Amino acid sequence: MLRAVMCPDCAEPVHADDLFCESCGRDLRLDRDATRATASPEPCVRCGTPADGESDYCSGCGLRRNDGTDHVEIDLAVLAGVSDRGLVHRRNEDAMALGKLARGTEVIAAVVCDGVSSVRDPQLASRSAAETTLTGLLGAGSGSGSSDELIRSSVATAAKAVATLAGSSLRDAPSCTLVCGLVERSDDGTAAISVGWVGDSRAYWLSDAGSRLLTHDHSWAAEQIAAGVLDEETAMSAPMAHAITRWIGADGPAEPDVMTFTPQTPGVLLLCTDGLWNYVPDADELAGLTLPTVAEEGPIAAATELTGIAIEAGGRDNITVVVIPVSPDLPRSTA
Amino acid sequence: MTEPPRFTVEVDYNRYLAIDATSVDAIVTVTATGDAPAATSDALEVIIIDCSTSMSGNKIRSARQATAAAIAELRDGVAFAVVVGTQDARQLYPDRGVARADARTRAEATTYVERLAANGGTGIGSWLKLTGQIADGFAGPLKHAILLTDGQNGERAVHFDAALRSVVGKFTCDCRGVGTDWRVDELRTISSALLGSVDIVADPADLAADFQAIMGAAMGKSMADVALRLWTPRGASIRFVKQVSPTVEDLTGRRNESGPQRGDYPLGSWGAESREYHVAIDIEAGSIDEDVLAARISLVTAGSDDVLGQLLVPVTWTDDTALSTRIARGVAHYTGQAELAEAIQEGLAARKAGDVATATARLGRAVALAAESGNSDTARLLERVVDVIDAPSGTVTLRRSVSDADEMTLDTRSTKTVRVRGAEQ
Repeated sequence: MLRAVMCPDCAEPVHADDLFCESCGRDLRLDRDATRATASPEPCVRCGTPADGESDYCSGCGLRRNDGTDHVEIDLAVLAGVSDRGLVHRRNEDAMALGKLARGTEVIAAVVCDGVSSVRDPQLASRSAAETTLTGLLGAGSGSGSSDELIRSSVATAAKAVATLAGSSLRDAPSCTLVCGLVERSDDGTAAISVGWVGDSRAYWLSDAGSRLLTHDHSWAAEQIAAGVLDEETAMSAPMAHAITRWIGADGPAEPDVMTFTPQTPGVLLLCTDGLWNYVPDADELAGLTLPTVAEEGPIAAATELTGIAIEAGGRDNITVVVIPVSPDLPRSTA
Repeated sequence: MTEPPRFTVEVDYNRYLAIDATSVDAIVTVTATGDAPAATSDALEVIIIDCSTSMSGNKIRSARQATAAAIAELRDGVAFAVVVGTQDARQLYPDRGVARADARTRAEATTYVERLAANGGTGIGSWLKLTGQIADGFAGPLKHAILLTDGQNGERAVHFDAALRSVVGKFTCDCRGVGTDWRVDELRTISSALLGSVDIVADPADLAADFQAIMGAAMGKSMADVALRLWTPRGASIRFVKQVSPTVEDLTGRRNESGPQRGDYPLGSWGAESREYHVAIDIEAGSIDEDVLAARISLVTAGSDDVLGQLLVPVTWTDDTALSTRIARGVAHYTGQAELAEAIQEGLAARKAGDVATATARLGRAVALAAESGNSDTARLLERVVDVIDAPSGTVTLRRSVSDADEMTLDTRSTKTVRVRGAEQ
């Protein structure tokens, strides 16, 4: 049960049992947030020209304005995420969307996307795909159908939304990877985890009882290794190792792979882009870095710490990390 | 109401600059789709026929046929007029103002045209001024003229220049020179200022087909007065703005300031077609990884803020030379095509002046550029002026006897370009 005493949107007081805010109509059982660009109200850092709110670039000297996405933190208490530009890229083309819903069965969902940097406006693709997929996933419980179907239909809707960004030209159409996690808790306390992905963004299950990578990359290197053509070291050192073979975009094969499992022990579902796993690919190593921090300081601290590790290691790429603790043995009200 | 065309704007450039680099070159492709022609009430056509004494004989007979062919192409409802040019200008049809094309007016105009005789001088400035007056009296947006002449202008330069300046923006004009006694630079000046084309019709017998084609294209235009709007950051300077396809046309001097750090370059009227522009800008150097907008390029309805299409040209400075040394294919190609046009015009001018060394060098360079870029039409025209020994290296000798028609054809068509070979569409 959500124990809001004020509406998170309009700050008007609400009753703990209210389903909607009386003032603004917000659904109080739903809490969600995502990477969103905001036109900076600050004057240009280089020439001082005031922001016009119309463009990503200063209307005086042309310098790109910080649109608020260089560093994003989202803390919904029961799950949290951090997305950072890193040290090398000029903007953050990753995006994330996180949500929780206390309606019937409790649902937690998160989506992480990595814009394909060789195309036009990849950041628009990743933001749109993350938000649209999350909206689909939070429809869980309201309809029938399996989690597998829900993920596929949510990703298909997101792919359509991203395809519209291409405009009239398919060349270099905005596109991105996607990994999403859906945690559905039933009344008996068991939690079902479903993960869907397109491209090389990853999901890990981290637990003291055993940690593992849940996804397999849709990338050139992974496919060479899987097909037995190259060993891991040769494949990963090839120039096209990271070339993805599936993506969300007007010109892409966007069909996700989906896996589902029911954890028997507490653990953490970790979603991340290659900005993190390029530095720390190993599940056990990630568990060692993540689980103690989650236990002591909560998911936002763990996401912040993992992001910091990737930046310390060089921050060659945008980094996005979402941490979702799952405790099947505990009562379900954790909010 | 007919549907206006839809515009798409695409860009080819290298967004990575080396440290301290300031030059940004971009090829902008503007494509208009939707082939619904304009409402007939929006369009005016004026046909200007040279009736100077030199037109006597074959030429005036062909000009009559060509004008009749053009009149036959007029869609019902389009406004039109025929102007006869000698040392003065006189309106042949209708008596004043414009006629609306229908079976009766087309037949009437044709009857008048068939009686045309050649007798008088050549005063092109006065022809343009009369056409300007007719255009002034017409309310629709699409105003187009065809100008046919066979000789050199007899007016004093100051008179002609003033006349041309006074009609810029009032109508667009395609110019045709018949025979070989006219001057390419004279007609190019007019067509360039009036956003039209120039070509040679060496054989008067070909005029009718050519006029028919011009009129057919003019009838397909549906959007008048489009402009390229260019925003650049403070401290930037525009090196040039050139149309590079289908022909080379320098637009740099046509800029009208339209706002802070912003200028508009008029592009004339559009049908369903695609044109390419080379925009070359110098901006202030930025620091590494800085992301700066070098230009915002939009297509607007001239004199308004109605944006038909837009794109951004951001750049980033990098110390990765693998990125910064890449040259966009379109930029390399059209830089070559513009140089090709220049080499031909300079080579022919040197040849005329008797400077064999310069003519051989420049026309040789043109042969090499035409071969390299696959501009086979221009390569063929060059072969009528020079003997090619080795095309890739541009080794040529000047031909001793060259017909005036071949030389003038090469000159007028020197600005025609080809698109990038194997370009994705």
